[in-house]
Amino acid sequence: MARAALLCLLRHRTAAATSTSPLSTYRCLKTSNSKTPAAGVGRASFCRPFSSKAAVNDVIGMDFANTDSGVAVMEGKERLDPFSLVADELSVIASRLRSMVVVEVPNLASAAEYFFKIGVEGKRFRPTVLLLMATALNVHVPELPPAGVGDTLPTDLRTCQQRIAEITEMIHVASLLHDDVLDDADKRRGVGSLNAVTGNKLAVLAGDFLLSRACLALASLKNTEVVTLIATVVENLVTGETMQLTTASKQRFSMEYYMQKTYNKTASLLSNSCKSIAILAGHTAEVAMLAFEYGKNLGLAFQLIDDVLDFTGTSASLGKGSLSDIRHGIITAPILFAMEEFPQLRAVVDQGFDNPANVDIALEYLGKSSGIQRTKELAMKHANLAAAAIDSLPESDDEDVIRSRQALVDLTQRVITRNK
Amino acid sequence: MLFCRGFSRISTTPRKSLLGFILSRPTEPSQSLLSNQYLYSTIKQVCGGRKAFSWSLPSLLGIGRQIHHSSSVIEEQFDPFSLVAEELSLVANRLRAMVVAEVPKLASAAEYFFKVGVEGKRFRPTVLLLMATALNVHLPEPAAASVGDTLTTDLRTRLQSIAEITEMIHVASLLHDDVLDDADKRRGIGSLNAVMGNKLAVLAGDFLLSRACVSLAALKNTEVVSLLATVVEHLVTGETMQMTTSSEQRCSMEYYMQKTYYKTASLISNSCKAIALLAGQTAEVAMLAFEYGKNLGLAFQLIDDVLDFTGTSASLGKGSLSDIRHGIVTAPILFAMEEFPQLHSVVYQGFDNPENIDIVLEYLGKSHGIQMTRELAMKHANLAAAAIDSLPESNDENVIKSRRALVDLTQRVITRNK
Repeated sequence: MARAALLCLLRHRTAAATSTSPLSTYRCLKTSNSKTPAAGVGRASFCRPFSSKAAVNDVIGMDFANTDSGVAVMEGKERLDPFSLVADELSVIASRLRSMVVVEVPNLASAAEYFFKIGVEGKRFRPTVLLLMATALNVHVPELPPAGVGDTLPTDLRTCQQRIAEITEMIHVASLLHDDVLDDADKRRGVGSLNAVTGNKLAVLAGDFLLSRACLALASLKNTEVVTLIATVVENLVTGETMQLTTASKQRFSMEYYMQKTYNKTASLLSNSCKSIAILAGHTAEVAMLAFEYGKNLGLAFQLIDDVLDFTGTSASLGKGSLSDIRHGIITAPILFAMEEFPQLRAVVDQGFDNPANVDIALEYLGKSSGIQRTKELAMKHANLAAAAIDSLPESDDEDVIRSRQALVDLTQRVITRNK
Repeated sequence: MLFCRGFSRISTTPRKSLLGFILSRPTEPSQSLLSNQYLYSTIKQVCGGRKAFSWSLPSLLGIGRQIHHSSSVIEEQFDPFSLVAEELSLVANRLRAMVVAEVPKLASAAEYFFKVGVEGKRFRPTVLLLMATALNVHLPEPAAASVGDTLTTDLRTRLQSIAEITEMIHVASLLHDDVLDDADKRRGIGSLNAVMGNKLAVLAGDFLLSRACVSLAALKNTEVVSLLATVVEHLVTGETMQMTTSSEQRCSMEYYMQKTYYKTASLISNSCKAIALLAGQTAEVAMLAFEYGKNLGLAFQLIDDVLDFTGTSASLGKGSLSDIRHGIVTAPILFAMEEFPQLHSVVYQGFDNPENIDIVLEYLGKSHGIQMTRELAMKHANLAAAAIDSLPESNDENVIKSRRALVDLTQRVITRNK
């Protein structure tokens, strides 16, 4: 049944491929589901709950012309759940991750595995993207040396690519552990933060430990280009956090600065790990760059919607969100857009937001402005760029490849239509 | 922390007094004898001359060999640090340039330990640069400019990069080790400085680690990446071991030596090995380099433990006693506990009560703890020297000089007084 629906969708899609824009096949459906408020914590990140139920978010795609309004008829049958495509593999990776952070010193062990335990490992968004990308790129690459023994090479390649997913998760969690120390955060992923539970020092040490294990795993891939890419990610994460620290400078009013910071903090990990997947598979520089672009634009789109949700929460009206960004003095895209329309807002922002009255003033201006809408538009633009990158990949008739690419495109829509 | 402070002790007394030798550049064997006598008397003095130390002979053999060398033009003890002084400045400058950051507070935190005057004696980079030469990767002659020399230059630069990376990792670990948990207890009451101090320490350490990662990646050698990633893991493990010891573990010599390896020796051993690997040496040679670094590091830490009790004199109690006051049980106490089992209960109680410290010192004085620790340090120093002596032969003057300097370092490490 699902298969038939999928083939329907694919046929529809293939037919439309001859049209000018790859996006014209998508229709719009706006959902008004209300969900429980997001439990936002200091740093907006991929740790927000991510709905994996296929039936709930019914949107296939967004018509570029209709951003805010309108309900169009849903053409395709039920959507495939990207997460379910890789669910089994994710379990394998999760188990391996838990074993990779085992260490003999008990305190360090419990600290290191804190966020890999069952129930608190988050939605594993990044590993999902990477595994889907690995399949999506599973086309025959002439340059790859022929497998010596049957299917050994493809299996090894897959293991290497899974390793990228593991490495990425370790680096991500390491950065979370340190960020929570930096932010004095109490909670993370619904449980107490590690630093709140075991103290700052052990949280810092555990983060370092995860980073070193990630580097070890990275070295075992014996691919120096990949090592360089992931090392760059580590540097970008720190740079991004540092950029966020520059609260006093004028730069925090700059959209360009903000986008750069967002890339460093959020998108770089996705973009470079996607690129690594492609490189490991022996693809050309062009294909690797497409993978990079997908990851980058997906990450940016995600963060921009994250910024919106911090204001809007679960409804379109302002102020229902957690407002944690603004309360921490972090100026995000909606406010930046609003400041372009209402320069007087700058003075308020300059004063800072220790005074809750300023938060109210800023929200008022934001409501009057088109800040929220423009941010959503920008997110959509990036989501579409991500989808376009997938569509530009070399053609393939392989069913798995097609399905994975569909899932990757689907993710770009989920990222921007989610309500929490 | 201890290590950084400790290494600043290395080049004090011996260096100053031996500088004279270097400047005068004597040619007669008599001068060599003088230097030998100096070293021997130092050892005797340090060990209190209580008994004949047959094990000291191997350590003197290295020097004794000098007397028997036929051509003894430059046989006197030279200063290991001076051999690589210029290169060290180069490395230091590059380090300072590499940790430049745009955020002012972060910049000052990150470069804190790299500023001129506070970068310590740069013991580790010295060892690594000497090792590089000892493994026959010498600095290119400025006169000849050929492709071969370009390669040599590149290789030497890569080895210097190891020295830089090592320093960055070392300082990052210092910054992270200093992160305290007091911020929790002072929440709402503590000063912003106290909290900001922790945060900056974490961020600055991360910053240094990320720079080290990028530099490592640039070397394009995944084995070296593995080695230095292992170092980071060991540093963390060692610090955690020190933070979270059970009473039983604190009394175990094996646990202590393992912790010491992780915290102190792993960095030197693995970076020495990395030097060898980058230089294209065989696995055997790489292992010798590793053994040198490991034993040097262990010897250093053991003497560090002794000095914490003895300070600048051979008598007990003049040292800073900071280890024991922090509840850190080191080798001398562990040895004393073997002799006087009743010391166990005192150690179990901990050292919040200063009286316990006095009791422990008393037992320590009665025991051979200090002496046995020195002996153990000497054993490791000799192992380190032996590793150098086992390197493949070379007639290159620079190689010989560097190897001698490395052996010399093993002695300095155990004969220093502060």
